[in-house]
Amino acid sequence: MKTGDMGVKTTTLEKALEWGRSNSLWPLTMGLACCAIEMMATQAADVDVARFGSEIFRNSPRQSDLMIVAGTTTKRMAPRVKRIYEEMPYPKYVIAMGVCVIQGGPYVDGYSVVLGVDRVIPVDVYVPGCPPSPQALTYGLITLQKKIRNETDR
Amino acid sequence: MYKILSEETDKSGMKVLNIDKSDLVELMEDYKNRRYYLSSITGVDMKDHIDVIYHIHNFDKNDYLCVKVSTSDEKVPSITKLWKAAIVDEREQYDLMGIVFEGHENLRRILLPDEWVGHPLRKDYDLNKVQYISMDRDGNEHVSFDDKEGW
Amino acid sequence: MSHWIELNIGPVHPATHGIYRFRVKLNEETVEDVDITIGYLHRNAEKICELNYFVNNTIYFDRMDYIDAMNMELGYLRAVETLMDMEVPERAQWIRMIMAELSRIAARMVGIGALGLDVGMLTPFFHTFHEREKIQNIFVEASGGRQEVNYMSIGGVYQDFNDTIINEIKEFIAGFKGKLEEIVKMFTDSEIFWQRNVGTGVLEPDIALDYGVTGPMLRASGIPYDVRKDSPYLYYDKVNFDVPIAKSKDNMGRFLVKVEELRQSVRIIEQCLAKLPEGPYFNPKAKKSAMLLLKGQGDVFTRVESESGEFGVFIRGDGNVKPYRVHARSPSFKNLAVVPIMAKGSLIADLIITIASVDAVAGEVDR
Repeated sequence: MKTGDMGVKTTTLEKALEWGRSNSLWPLTMGLACCAIEMMATQAADVDVARFGSEIFRNSPRQSDLMIVAGTTTKRMAPRVKRIYEEMPYPKYVIAMGVCVIQGGPYVDGYSVVLGVDRVIPVDVYVPGCPPSPQALTYGLITLQKKIRNETDR
Repeated sequence: MYKILSEETDKSGMKVLNIDKSDLVELMEDYKNRRYYLSSITGVDMKDHIDVIYHIHNFDKNDYLCVKVSTSDEKVPSITKLWKAAIVDEREQYDLMGIVFEGHENLRRILLPDEWVGHPLRKDYDLNKVQYISMDRDGNEHVSFDDKEGW
Repeated sequence: MSHWIELNIGPVHPATHGIYRFRVKLNEETVEDVDITIGYLHRNAEKICELNYFVNNTIYFDRMDYIDAMNMELGYLRAVETLMDMEVPERAQWIRMIMAELSRIAARMVGIGALGLDVGMLTPFFHTFHEREKIQNIFVEASGGRQEVNYMSIGGVYQDFNDTIINEIKEFIAGFKGKLEEIVKMFTDSEIFWQRNVGTGVLEPDIALDYGVTGPMLRASGIPYDVRKDSPYLYYDKVNFDVPIAKSKDNMGRFLVKVEELRQSVRIIEQCLAKLPEGPYFNPKAKKSAMLLLKGQGDVFTRVESESGEFGVFIRGDGNVKPYRVHARSPSFKNLAVVPIMAKGSLIADLIITIASVDAVAGEVDR
């Protein structure tokens, strides 16, 4: 993005689209376990995620473009997570919140937990923590926004 | 009339009654008439037999009581006719421990899908044999040992 | 003429408060039958507990009722300490009591906020979460964890209270008293809230006892049963508090019981702070280097009052450093099973409020 002599900014259409897309992410409430409460705290007044343009937590996959997988994904839940992911329209992004979602976390020894949701759906940003604090989730969101803004450069 | 095999006190000071499993329903019925209610059912796999431990509770006297039966053929009479609380408890113990409660009207798995192989809280359950769950279009769950079939 | 519809709610649905699946059989708008499927969050905590040392298992109990972590670990540690005949110093017990009550308040804040969301009131949610955030800051100061705290440990607590924490708690309590009345007023001033809660989700005491329901749900049905009062643990027999009951047996009764319990929790914390003695906060027998070698033998079943009811823990030790069997009697598991009875014959909209007022937590239902 360049500023010209008359103060008018010129940019490519793709860049403008990316900028708009990154600042209006509508997350899907995929609260599965403990992390869901911290996701709610991120949405609440103290750590207001609306400052970054994603205040509208949608309950329908068809109206959202970001899935925050918050909480342990069990083997029984994994096909359902995948189906909901498939119902989301393109372009779509996924944040894996919490160590359970990243690689199984404390339940790694067990028999019914998927060792990482990235075995089921593609993940863009990993936010570690058990559960991650709202600040960590906000940082993950900002990281995703940076990633979206640089999509055509790659 | 039921027969109490032995009586003891456990570490938390609770009275424990050891009985034979054929006397279970009769004893529980007696305690139900004394206004006792079911609190929880626990199964413990002791390798050669399974202990089933019932905790019952009287709200008026605030008296907790523990009833223990042991079974070597995985079968125990159901007490769902006495307390409705036993419905979910017995289903859970059937699911995870493999205890068959005879007389339970709807003895299905409750936490794991119906096709799951084995009962995980048994001591001989092999944790290395990974099972995968997939789902068809109608939402029915299928279990397989093949990792390509999963989700 | 009747029109039958089978409506599927969940597993991922904002009204289910966790991941359960409700298959509702509807006759026009009246609920005929509800079939609940659970197990979507079955994380096999009981199996993993058998593979771990006694001291390591508190984290799995934290994550059972994940909004009320302190009471969960207290439930587990009570069982373990009874099994090992471990004495807990006086100061540690008072600290545990303060933390358990703070955790209860934090859990209620989630429950009440979510109930507001279901009725369509967005404002109380922000206020309750603001209060919860303050409690979590106290937890961070004491333990380092916000939600899954892992603060209590065998024989005491992880870290002593310093003046900062005590001042923070005092400050929070002073502010919370007025704030609570403000939040409650938001609910009780709303005509819609009354209309949707009064007379819906009626639970008769006989049915509640038959299904093994405990906690605020049982008290709202008119039975004054509270583990803290009836078989006191810690020092609950040395503080004054009342056990509220409601006679209306409906959703409004449950809401009012929960609110009154919050006031009683505040009362308990104030008395605890006044009585907090000086002394050790940790039993030297369970010092950090020897923790993994602690052994237990025998059967034990103890219970505490968690936010959703009577939380019992059964442990069998075989004289080893690892438990032989751990079983949790989770209150939400029983409370959820009674929803079909409460919802039968009511409207579909009332079912949503009934589910919210049960306050079942998925992590505790499925374990």
